[in-house]
Amino acid sequence: MPPWRLPDALVARLHDKAHAARWDVPASGFASALERSAAKVFATQPDPRELERFLVSLHLEDLALACACAAGHEGAWEHFVREHRPLLYKAADAIDPTGGSRDLADSLYGELFGLIETSGARRSLFEYFHGRSSLGTWLRAVLAQRHVDRVRRSRRFEPLPIEEVPALAQSGEPHQPHAVRYIQLMRRVVTAAVARLAPKDRLRLGYYYAQDLTLAQIGRALNEHEATVSRNLARARREIRRDVERQLRDEEHMTASEIDECFAAVVNDVGTLDVKDLLGGSRKDSPDERSKERAEGASA
Amino acid sequence: MPERDRSVENVLRHVLSDDVRAQPQSACPDAETIAAWHEGTLRREEAAIIERHVADCAHCRALMAAFIQATPSIPAVESMWRRWHLGWAVPLATAATAAALWIAMPRSAPSPELEVREEKAASVAQVPPPASPASPTAPAAASEPAVPQNAAALAKTAALLREEERQRAGESQVTREQLADQQATAAAGAALSARIEADKRASAANAAPRPFAVAARLAASPPLEIVAPGGSARWRIVGGQQVEWSTSAATEWGPTAIESPDVLTAGASPSPSVCWIVGRRGAVYVTTDGARFMRVPFPEMADLVNVTANDDRTATVSSADGRSWNTTDQGKSWSLGR
Repeated sequence: MPPWRLPDALVARLHDKAHAARWDVPASGFASALERSAAKVFATQPDPRELERFLVSLHLEDLALACACAAGHEGAWEHFVREHRPLLYKAADAIDPTGGSRDLADSLYGELFGLIETSGARRSLFEYFHGRSSLGTWLRAVLAQRHVDRVRRSRRFEPLPIEEVPALAQSGEPHQPHAVRYIQLMRRVVTAAVARLAPKDRLRLGYYYAQDLTLAQIGRALNEHEATVSRNLARARREIRRDVERQLRDEEHMTASEIDECFAAVVNDVGTLDVKDLLGGSRKDSPDERSKERAEGASA
Repeated sequence: MPERDRSVENVLRHVLSDDVRAQPQSACPDAETIAAWHEGTLRREEAAIIERHVADCAHCRALMAAFIQATPSIPAVESMWRRWHLGWAVPLATAATAAALWIAMPRSAPSPELEVREEKAASVAQVPPPASPASPTAPAAASEPAVPQNAAALAKTAALLREEERQRAGESQVTREQLADQQATAAAGAALSARIEADKRASAANAAPRPFAVAARLAASPPLEIVAPGGSARWRIVGGQQVEWSTSAATEWGPTAIESPDVLTAGASPSPSVCWIVGRRGAVYVTTDGARFMRVPFPEMADLVNVTANDDRTATVSSADGRSWNTTDQGKSWSLGR
């Protein structure tokens, strides 16, 4: 809670605007919610005009509904379930079309209702909603968070890749003497080139190469048309290639033929392999082999 | 260098590969901040911090990916001129226009009187078209030789269409009513031609200022005021990026929720509690309570310069290059107009 209090007149106006009386949310309770929201953004007492601008920007009706639900108001809960439950299920199905996220959506209801007790007190997840976004968008973000946490937990015990490099050995070509060094060098210079890109370009690349989002999904995330996403990805790749060429030439002092070899060392990529595979070790990157290995590890 | 690009792609897959085991960091934004970032309601500085963080944090990137998958899709429309198969048309059209201008332009310098007249024509271009060619607002456009030709062609086409309609309805005799219709169609065609000419002039006038000049002018210009029907509520765009609201006949102004990163250019209010505001780079906002503006998803980073609205769900926005989009569901979907 902030060390300052909101003016009563402002609270009354916002309380009215939020139709908080509909859910029997008292002005004092709503004022506390507003103060919590403000405390999230302002570390020190803000300019009154700036504070007012912030408060009117909140999704006040959603905030009032959240306050009422947190307090256990029956009508508010009915409204919330009627309006948001279908959307939450839809979102869960979109995250995991096999229905695996439905239970996450159900467990969210438990948390929202305050079934989970923290040090003896019932604490509703609604208390973490401050009205900075709409309730629906917040619920989707919470659901996504739960989903990622669950995936992370389930994969926690998978073996970490020691040093994955593109698979040169699979190409059938004879091992080049400098292949390992070139691959590691390419990883380093590409990483440096990526770090020099603008955050939005890094984000776009990350969505595409790490998260495997489609161009349309990336466009939705960045408010761009998918054709624009495609063009921007191509531009970023070109920038990275030029940066890599420059680094190899100017910083690594490589000749043109050595640069060619560096690029050639990573041109054939059929999956991820450990360095030892490059040196003739066995490959274990198929899902069956990996799961077999995990099972063996668990039984041992 | 496609082979080198492929090499870069291969390495990118590895250096950017997502590690879902990555622990959330203390700096990771909470779900509400992520949601507000997605809705575009964070302050500019805060949004930039979040963007930088998500770009470099595998955990948050994974969260955003799941979040995007859970977000209902909005069909996006790409700018017609950006489509690859029409890309060639831009330089071609430019060259053709330049050639046409070179041929059409008189060899001697235009008189100042003519320049003034053309400016006037451009300034009245947005006024609704005259009902008939005899209307006094049409002479500048009607004096162009292209207008009668266009008018005749349009009138002929319209008459043919009407004739087809009548034939379908079983009417084959030419009646007095038909003659009257044809005359009216010819008049409407001429008016339409005059409007086309006026629109062309208006487009030329609108295309002249550069974007940065527009931004600077907006920032320096007096606030643009948007008045609700009846005048009980007003909004004004201050400094191009902020919006204030008044319900006291402009005697007292209060802040609203917009702090747009983009220059706001126009607004429309169909009722005292509803106001639509548009701006550069596809900025569209709507409020349904007068004060709290929501960013409406828009499929393109177009520079929007005009908006008309019927209610809080139905609006038409227009871009500086003359395109327009309609929504009937508060921006959940947009359809490209002309």
